[in-house]
Amino acid sequence: MRRILVTGAATRTGGRLIQNLERTFDTKVFAVDDLDPIEDFSSPFERLSIDQLAFARFLLDVKPHTVVHLQTVDRSALLGATRAHEESTVGAQALFGAIGRCTTVRHVVVKSDGAVYGAGPRSPSILSTDSKPRRAGGRYQRDLEQMETFVREIAEQHDHVDYTILRLAPIFGPTIRNPLSAYLTLPGVPTLLGFDPRLQLISERDALDVFLHSIDNPVPGTFNVAGKGQLYLSRILRLGRRVPQPLPKRAFHAALRGVARSGIPLEKHTIALLKHGRVMDTSGMEDTLGFSPFLTCRQTTMVAYGRASAGIEL
Amino acid sequence: MSYDELSSLTKAELLDRARAIDLRGRSKMTKAELVAALFAAESEEDTAPEEESGPMIPIPGVSQEDRVEARARRTELYDRLADLVDQSRLCEWRSIEGHGCGLPVVREDDACALHTDRNRYDAAVPITGRLGFDTWPTLFRHLHLATYDIDAIGLDPVLHEMAWHVFNGLYYDYFRVDVDGIENIPMDGAAMIVANHGGAALPYDAAMLALAVLNEAPTPRRVRVSATEIYNMLPWVSHMYRKVGAVYATHEDARHLLERGAMLGVFPEGESGFMKPVWQAYHVQRFGRGGFVQLAEQTGTPIVPVAILGAEEVHPTLGVSRRLAQLVRFIFPQQRVEEIAVFLNPVPLPVRWRIRFLPPVMPENPGVEPDPLRMLERSEDIRRSVQSALDTLLAARGTAFS
Repeated sequence: MRRILVTGAATRTGGRLIQNLERTFDTKVFAVDDLDPIEDFSSPFERLSIDQLAFARFLLDVKPHTVVHLQTVDRSALLGATRAHEESTVGAQALFGAIGRCTTVRHVVVKSDGAVYGAGPRSPSILSTDSKPRRAGGRYQRDLEQMETFVREIAEQHDHVDYTILRLAPIFGPTIRNPLSAYLTLPGVPTLLGFDPRLQLISERDALDVFLHSIDNPVPGTFNVAGKGQLYLSRILRLGRRVPQPLPKRAFHAALRGVARSGIPLEKHTIALLKHGRVMDTSGMEDTLGFSPFLTCRQTTMVAYGRASAGIEL
Repeated sequence: MSYDELSSLTKAELLDRARAIDLRGRSKMTKAELVAALFAAESEEDTAPEEESGPMIPIPGVSQEDRVEARARRTELYDRLADLVDQSRLCEWRSIEGHGCGLPVVREDDACALHTDRNRYDAAVPITGRLGFDTWPTLFRHLHLATYDIDAIGLDPVLHEMAWHVFNGLYYDYFRVDVDGIENIPMDGAAMIVANHGGAALPYDAAMLALAVLNEAPTPRRVRVSATEIYNMLPWVSHMYRKVGAVYATHEDARHLLERGAMLGVFPEGESGFMKPVWQAYHVQRFGRGGFVQLAEQTGTPIVPVAILGAEEVHPTLGVSRRLAQLVRFIFPQQRVEEIAVFLNPVPLPVRWRIRFLPPVMPENPGVEPDPLRMLERSEDIRRSVQSALDTLLAARGTAFS
């Protein structure tokens, strides 16, 4: 019996991952989050905040073989910057401390984000996992970096556990509701005048598959995960038949605050992304991890805007 | 067909002929007008080839003989480019939303320049097989439908081609660039082109260097010239410089390109190259810390030194200003400019340029990290070779404009 613990089960990707794992043979899933799940699943769900010691005790009780850490999205808009920062860093400390103590854990799969590289005028155009990080992002970038450091330290100190860190490009799809996808599907999209960032995307199905793949094939290491190719923001909007609204800096930020009030809180790291863009080198994902996304960035965009069918069940 | 023969046809037949040559306003013409218009169109066709390029607009400072020569050089380039594509076969690529491609196929390939995988971002095969403003509707269609992929750095082959055509005006007619030693450019595989820098912060030399390789090499190759981070901060410049094929100067980007066999253009002098006043022009400054040598050794890339004569006189730098830099920092607070070169002419001077490609310098121990002193020595050797080539070119020419 394979026992898998999933944090961040309340997110759409988390819920779907659990649904998919439930369908696989001889697998028992334990789901944890401090919010109510969006997706329905039958596995036991514990409503725990990962930065509490109760969570660490729960992990030690459950004795999982694999831990999937998905609770790494930026929740600063939802919880406030301080609380989100605390949950992220103290949560990572508690989680990986518990994993170090729990000798049944063989493998940890961690969802990181491309935001760990930041986005700024001094960022290289193409980021690989071995390029040294440049300080360009805000708190979220630091939190992610710290979380990744915890993972590496734990894996170094304890022989029984190894880790896979997946740095995902923004997830984009017809049913996912993250701030960036909500922003991209606005009828008129405010953009920063004179800037056209290069973006990489990953379809929601591929974002799910890469976790299923790395749970089944534990390849230790850090990998960038994104669909093949890259697109300028202007092209994404053109493919989606959205009208860009180029605004100068102040009007752009004012427009984003207006958008935030209507329920799409774009975090600082996403706004930086919309100015400078980010493209990651995904050769490690294809060669070492052995995963190739089903959809390219262009196809992801077409599918997300409902202009093409993916030919797959989402 | 004579005027009488045309008059003997029926109006329907005349309309068919008019449609065949796409005569404007044919539906509103009377029969007599149609005959006259068709006759005029047919007689025009006989004389057309001689005056296809239209009248020459005089450019101050450029002689008529130079213009005629520029036209001949362009024609020669267009002939060379026309051989790169096979107009008889059309690309069969189709997007998932059903847009067809319909562009001519690259010779010895199955797809057009936008949809082939082979050397897509290296060989600059013209998309429609030629350059010209009349191809721009086709180019805009592909740009608008986004039927092709950009590369990881951000090169947009369509915008690259548009810029190529526009800047050819400067290259052939205004700066009248003379190129020699083009055979020193490797026709495949990675190479690093190292040149002296001038032009008072406006990258004319980068554009002309890229155009020299595009226009004079047997098959046009793209040179990815590298730019500093200021380009990432300026509105419009921030994405246009990538789209037309330049790259941001970091080791990561450079290594990414060189490992994929691309050609990289580097100006190791940096800002000390174009900040020096005009009376010190063509005194090549120190080549930075020699980081380009380190990169070439690590990736096993040959270095082609290039001497560019002309760039340092198009905007004669009279001095540097700290006040102006303060103003720029006030408008763009992110920028860290300390000094700005001051020049008086808003329009570049019509200097006659000369670009000389020198024999490539091979890496000493490919894949091995060179020691810091060796890096400096080698970069100094390359700087000296560029300097001596510049001195030879300077001695050989009369005035800057002749």
